[in-house]
Amino acid sequence: MTEFRTWHVFLLLGLFGLFALFYKGLWGDPTALPPVIIAEPAPEIVAPSLYGDKQIVLSEHRGKVVVLNFWASWCQECKLEHKFLLAINKRFEDNPNFVMYGVNYQDKDHLAKAYLDQHGNNFEHMVDLKGKISIDYGVYGVPETFIIDQDGIIRHKQIGPVLGDVFSDMVQNKIEPLLNKSAPL
Amino acid sequence: MKLHTFFIVLTIFTATFSRIEPSFAQTDPVPPPLSMDEDLLQSKMKEVSKTLRCAVCQSESIWESNATLAIQMRDIIRERLIAGETPNEIRAYFVSRYGDYIVFKPRFRGINMLLWGGPFILLAIGAVVLSRSLRKWTLQKDEVPPEPLAPIDEKQRERIEEELRSLK
Repeated sequence: MTEFRTWHVFLLLGLFGLFALFYKGLWGDPTALPPVIIAEPAPEIVAPSLYGDKQIVLSEHRGKVVVLNFWASWCQECKLEHKFLLAINKRFEDNPNFVMYGVNYQDKDHLAKAYLDQHGNNFEHMVDLKGKISIDYGVYGVPETFIIDQDGIIRHKQIGPVLGDVFSDMVQNKIEPLLNKSAPL
Repeated sequence: MKLHTFFIVLTIFTATFSRIEPSFAQTDPVPPPLSMDEDLLQSKMKEVSKTLRCAVCQSESIWESNATLAIQMRDIIRERLIAGETPNEIRAYFVSRYGDYIVFKPRFRGINMLLWGGPFILLAIGAVVLSRSLRKWTLQKDEVPPEPLAPIDEKQRERIEEELRSLK
């Protein structure tokens, strides 16, 4: 009788586990993607700037908090978040331990430049030649934004536009604590 | 089946599958040469590309897809093959960037083990439950003594004999 009860427990646990998996699979957020690259060292970037005036090397910014935004001129959501990105850079640009870069994704240089002329710009952008940077960072599409800490570790990945609550959370709970070294993310 | 027997069966299944589905960290026994001909390169590219999901398509491999991201991924596979990386090393690179989602065949690791071993675990549980039920049913049949026949009176006996005679 005791063994029978043990098997009951096994069966119930098994069924519960299966139901939990089904629930997660069927009613969970299908757009949720596992953030595999979080807490990993940021892949090195060596890329030409959009305006071709210099080579941008990520490792040269070791010791700084780096915000990396992947965008394209054809991306509608990028247009929505653009003023929020400008606001982030405006807020922290005087901090010597902060730097922000845009990574132009699957785009044409002249269209990207026209986009920046139209929507304004206050930070530097690089060109993702052959998609190597975006694939290195596991980018699915644009916009995506990464926050890299002073040690070169990726601390946050935002899939989708940075606006509204996401913007506030990113500024107050992600970037500022890193710059102040006050709290882990 | 006892509890420990069940776990032995489970262990055998697990061990078998861990041999069938090696982790990507393992390297191919023969790495491709640094300078391979175009046919071999294409063949290797196809082999790797067919196992990787196009991240921006619906159930298409990056070999079948014409999405820009898929084309760029194929270029990276080609470059890495030329650089001497093995198919497993290249798959491991993409998994490190995009997670298990990027591969069509889930790796035998972590929660994925449930996916591979789940049907066999359920089959084993079913077999145990069935064998226990059958044993219990058999024992019950053996233990229950045959029901004693109710005595019949003279009137019933005469009727039975009459029925038997009418059959002849």
